[in-house]
Amino acid sequence: MVENLQNGERSRPFDGVPLIALLLAAIGAVLIGILVTSVAGAVSLSGEGEAFGTTLLRFLNTYGIIVPVLQLGFGLYMLSLARRLVGRSLSGAVWARQMLLWLLVLVTVLALQAYSQAFSGDLFTSDELTTAAALTTAGLALLWAFWWLGANLDRFEGVETLEQTSARNAWNLLVPTLVVLVVVAARPLEATFIASLTDRRFASRAEYGFVGLDNYARLLGVRLDVIDCAKTASGACEVNAHGAVVFPRARDVLDESYVALRFRELNIIDLPGRTSRLLISARDRDFFSAVGNTLTFTVFSVSLELLLGLFIAMVINSRFPGRGVMRAAMLVPWAIPTVVSAKLWEVMLRDNASGVINQVLLSIGAIQSSQAWLANPSLQIPALIAVDVWKTTPFMALILLAGLQTIPSDIYEAADVDGASKLRQFFSLTLPLLRPTIAVALVFRTLDAVRVFDVFNVLLGRQQLSMATYNYEMLTQSQQLGYASAIGVVIFIIILLFTIGYVRILGVSAE
Amino acid sequence: MTTASMSQIRVDAEGRRIGWRYRLGRIGFWALIIVILIYTLFPFYWAFATSLKTERELFAPAALFPQTATAINYESVFSNNQFLRSLVNSTVVASTTTLLALVVGSFAAYALGRLRFRGRMLMLYLVLAMTMFPQISILSGVFDVVNSLGLFGSLGALVATYPLITLPFTVWTLTSFFRGLPAELEQAALVDGANAFQTFYLILLPLTAPALVTTGLLAFIAAWNEYLFALTFTTINPTAQTVPVAIALFSGRISRQEPIAEIMAASVVVTIPLIALVLIFQRRIVEGLTAGAVKG
Repeated sequence: MVENLQNGERSRPFDGVPLIALLLAAIGAVLIGILVTSVAGAVSLSGEGEAFGTTLLRFLNTYGIIVPVLQLGFGLYMLSLARRLVGRSLSGAVWARQMLLWLLVLVTVLALQAYSQAFSGDLFTSDELTTAAALTTAGLALLWAFWWLGANLDRFEGVETLEQTSARNAWNLLVPTLVVLVVVAARPLEATFIASLTDRRFASRAEYGFVGLDNYARLLGVRLDVIDCAKTASGACEVNAHGAVVFPRARDVLDESYVALRFRELNIIDLPGRTSRLLISARDRDFFSAVGNTLTFTVFSVSLELLLGLFIAMVINSRFPGRGVMRAAMLVPWAIPTVVSAKLWEVMLRDNASGVINQVLLSIGAIQSSQAWLANPSLQIPALIAVDVWKTTPFMALILLAGLQTIPSDIYEAADVDGASKLRQFFSLTLPLLRPTIAVALVFRTLDAVRVFDVFNVLLGRQQLSMATYNYEMLTQSQQLGYASAIGVVIFIIILLFTIGYVRILGVSAE
Repeated sequence: MTTASMSQIRVDAEGRRIGWRYRLGRIGFWALIIVILIYTLFPFYWAFATSLKTERELFAPAALFPQTATAINYESVFSNNQFLRSLVNSTVVASTTTLLALVVGSFAAYALGRLRFRGRMLMLYLVLAMTMFPQISILSGVFDVVNSLGLFGSLGALVATYPLITLPFTVWTLTSFFRGLPAELEQAALVDGANAFQTFYLILLPLTAPALVTTGLLAFIAAWNEYLFALTFTTINPTAQTVPVAIALFSGRISRQEPIAEIMAASVVVTIPLIALVLIFQRRIVEGLTAGAVKG
């Protein structure tokens, strides 16, 4: 036996394991090396006596947390794979093979990118061609290592159980999804958090610094002050010609920080006795009005959609010819871009007799004169709610309809026999049985409504803002990337609270 | 209980009494159906009617039918290179995004739906959390990523970022489809000596073709309609605009004011393919949309 094996070994002239282990170790070392260099760079940049926190923040701002952690993790993993390869472990070999495959994919993508850049630019004078050639070499090395390991798995010791194989396959299949999650969700989220601590500007190379929580203080800064009435010489409240009590201007009586921090009046509440009033001021009045608009929009549009959707679902929850046509017709508003539906309604809501809504309402006598639905501030939000209700009610109705159809009809027959009225049946049978569906529909609609962007942007521009359009305007128009990031973080937290609240109250489960 | 209904009791196919109450109910029912149809479809009719109107008629009091129907708005829309370009852009972006979402998503869904491994529940919750992820709140972070990839102002920015919208629900929906397939399938394949990828491609994937069509459609529509990222990342480059951005920023060639009739013509043009998709795949889309909601 032993002799046979040795003969077998001798007939194989070449052992690639050390070479491949070296390759993996080199990749690991390079990953960790880059990390060490960037840390060293951040430290060496810090001037004399610079606070450690500042250095740390500068490092975070350049590299973030996720990328360095991944770098370190993969570097160490590569080194351990190299060690296991040298130890002839089978599981080391199969995992090394998977890593080589994904590295190969990565290098191929990078190489293709480099080639396309090289050939679109000035050929031969550019560095891209060198990069592309280097990447190609690396790719070929990876390809060879991948192939060699696959062809020589019998040189390794140990077994891989079925469970281990299935786990390895699972993680392999999840690699693309994980890459996407990191690149388009985790990394941007992290970047937003970090940027919210700076005064960075949008699309600009200007120097910027850390401002701590200043952005949040400006965004959320609210103060409450009790303002006493202006006193006459006798000590009584001054009264104007109309008999109203006169109050001094807030900036004249409050401390300097009121003016310095640019507080603006948000709301006034008269206190009992009418000799003093409560003044609510905010540093960023626009943000609070955006929050108010968004909440109004959310509450009204979602509850109208639920009621109307439930009504429509009940109507079409019976067998009738043309039900398929009906369902298709109801899908259409859902399917078209919100931008298009906003434009359709913009035309219908035009502020003179050429607007069909005005025309119809005038002819049935519901209004006395044409209304400027999209120009009159007090009609703007209701108009947007109408547009949103039109667009999403059919969707709501279809989901509720699907829920209704899972309710067995014999319970209604039983209720009929018992003499329960239709109204009673609706409240004691339909609604409770539909509760899970309503819960899911409410969660999705509310989360959509809280982040509403399209209708506000298309129909109102900068006239009245939602939280999302305010974030967008701050980013692209005011170009305050740091401040906009803080708004984003606040929206994120608000939506998180909504989600947690819903899950708690309605008991929506993941499965 | 009136004498009329007592004297002539007629019965329909299912044995119900046909009385005046029943007839009234039927009339009311169809009236409601018609009202609902008008509510959902009238804006489309109005867009179509407006798109046929001449500029002079646009400012006359609203009329249900165009007095002198004209195709001039369609002519100018189809000779508007900006708009035609946006149609091409949207098609490219939405198809690429859909394809990516289906390939990447079906990989992940197979792992999450069919394979046992530690960390599976964690991944499932991660994906579910992603479906509720508010894209607006990370807008500046996404801009950072797009910028560092050198994609700002290009279609690539959209292809790179749309998986944030399409991938989570693709994974989620396909996972539940994969989970519903019988376990014997893979065991048989395993006995026959197929490896995991062969099992996936040759046996499971063909069975999930209907689910792929449904999720693919939803992904396509989501990508076609996306506005926030498209507006933020492509406004600086008019040649990279997609349909929603082009419609929102539409500038006409004929009239100096906002070219309402042309915008309506453009809206009709971009809506027709979607209506066609919806009509053809109506049943599938409804199933896909409601699958998650009703099981919950």
